[in-house]
Amino acid sequence: MDEMIIAILRSSTPLIYVTLAGVLAQRTGIWNLGLEGLMIIGACATVLGIAITGSFLQGFLLAVGLCVAASVLLWFVIERLKANQIIAGLGLTGLGLGGTAFAVEAYMGSQVAVTVSSGAPKAGPVLGAFGVLSIFVLLMPVVVLGLWVLLKCTRFGLQLAACGEHAFAARSVGADPSRIRLIALAAGGVLCAAGGAELATGSLQLFAQNMTAGRGFMAFAAVIFGAGHPVWATFAALFFAVAGVLGIRVQLTFGDNIPHGLLQTLPYLATILGVWISGKLRGGAKAATLTEEQSHV
Amino acid sequence: MSGQLTSVLRSLVFVLFALLLCSAIFQTSGFSAVQVLNSIAEGAFLRPNAAAQSLRWGLPLFITAVGVAISFRAGYFNIGAQGQFYIGSIAAAICAEVLTGAPAIIVIPACFIAGMAGGAFWALWPGLLRIRSGTDEVITTLMGNFLASLLLIYVTSGPLKDPSGSGQQASSRPLDSSYRISDSLGVSPVIVTTALVTGLAMWLLVNRSAFGVLAGLAGRNGQMIRWLGAKQWQLGLASFLISGALAGLAGTLEFMGPNGRISSGFLPAHGFTAILIALVANTSVIGTAVASLFFGGLASAALYLPIMVGLPASAIDIINAAIALFITAKSAFVDRLLRVGRRDHG
Repeated sequence: MDEMIIAILRSSTPLIYVTLAGVLAQRTGIWNLGLEGLMIIGACATVLGIAITGSFLQGFLLAVGLCVAASVLLWFVIERLKANQIIAGLGLTGLGLGGTAFAVEAYMGSQVAVTVSSGAPKAGPVLGAFGVLSIFVLLMPVVVLGLWVLLKCTRFGLQLAACGEHAFAARSVGADPSRIRLIALAAGGVLCAAGGAELATGSLQLFAQNMTAGRGFMAFAAVIFGAGHPVWATFAALFFAVAGVLGIRVQLTFGDNIPHGLLQTLPYLATILGVWISGKLRGGAKAATLTEEQSHV
Repeated sequence: MSGQLTSVLRSLVFVLFALLLCSAIFQTSGFSAVQVLNSIAEGAFLRPNAAAQSLRWGLPLFITAVGVAISFRAGYFNIGAQGQFYIGSIAAAICAEVLTGAPAIIVIPACFIAGMAGGAFWALWPGLLRIRSGTDEVITTLMGNFLASLLLIYVTSGPLKDPSGSGQQASSRPLDSSYRISDSLGVSPVIVTTALVTGLAMWLLVNRSAFGVLAGLAGRNGQMIRWLGAKQWQLGLASFLISGALAGLAGTLEFMGPNGRISSGFLPAHGFTAILIALVANTSVIGTAVASLFFGGLASAALYLPIMVGLPASAIDIINAAIALFITAKSAFVDRLLRVGRRDHG
């Protein structure tokens, strides 16, 4: 049982951090489809940073720096150049996937995975069997609750929601939506760095090309399924992670009798169901993103 | 006309931006940016059989991209080309499997129809959800891509699995050579004709039919369409179906032509590149044809780089992604740069 819980925590934590980044962006009215790219930049930069400097902290700081820089680039393209956020987000994802593959080949001279000798700090023996979990797992509930409080109870949280729901109203009370989006995206960059670092160094200590394998998009799905609420989105991500872990168990137990990947379809089906229901509830309202002037293709 | 010229120039300026960003990435990774770009240009456009390679990758891309352009024109953000491409190829593969033994003159057209129907089906449900319940098509088509990839993994490692296949990638049984429409080089009369017919039909549809005019209007101003008495849902659904069917057709061509089989995760960047082409071309059919040859050239360079000059193929992914990042940008600065004050909003 302990082993099962550890597996679920390990696979859900990277997803949850990235989901929270998506929630922050979603609240300000930005659909961040660059999450996949940010996550893989976080994973790659952490591992390459450790490989170069030998220190986890420096590796993680490199990841934070690059993820924030990439987020700011996305903000600049969306806000200042008025690019379509969906295409720009997909572009950032492509840049992350291609750029990290390129960086690994440039650094290693081949396509093999990069392994390092040290990973993220672990909780230690005080937690018994759970001592193998990294600090990112332990911090995760704190971050979720902290973000929930920030969004619900602080002035900044309300400004964030206002600039997503009614940018004009936000502006009329002196909040600058553009600046708030910058802060939200940059903070999301830090969260994506944490998610990527946990994925690559939480239990493994390696980076391989395309290792996020769609987790960033799954996190985006969790944001939508959780209706942009930090706690609900976290539960959605947890649900997706549980489905993934169970899928592996089912396959180990029953072998080929059950089609591969049937459980893997769950996150995507759940998301389609989620947007379908929320679309019905909102009376067929279109997402804010595509009705604004910047949506024109 | 000057509006169109501006939009072409603007596209070019942002492509240049993208190339600058790429150069920065190449340079910081320890490669010489000039050398990388030079090798890409050589691999894409300057080497002896570059034109044929450009066509091999460009023709299927053109077919998918022109479909994407139709749905963008009608104001629907169908980003599910990849999934529709996969489902089309799966449908064609199943059709070929069922009809094995029948003469090629029956099997090939049947597979084309099956592939188009498969792609159209994969666009039908997001279209219906969008039009009937207002479900956002960006999410449904994106999720549809993942579902289609999983289905492709399932059929290639299950019902259609090639038992003799080895290696990491699951593949279907190879298509009988009498049903193949091209060899592995991928340029044959059938494929060229299919692309030409598709291009001509779509050009007529967009520029010379009531549907094209109304769909273009619907994309810009839905209310206007209702005043004109046209049924927006019919236009919308039709544009979804056309874009899905064309992506499915491209999947069929790849299956019956150069690939000869379907494999899990084959051509993973096809849909994304097609979206990019439609945007670079500003959804015009002729522009799409030109852009397809350019991006087809880049796709062929991805194969050339690692083998011939030892550069990572991911350099091409980076260039495509950087273009995507900038291509929809609308910057006052760039407009000033182009010295055109656009007031027509056209």
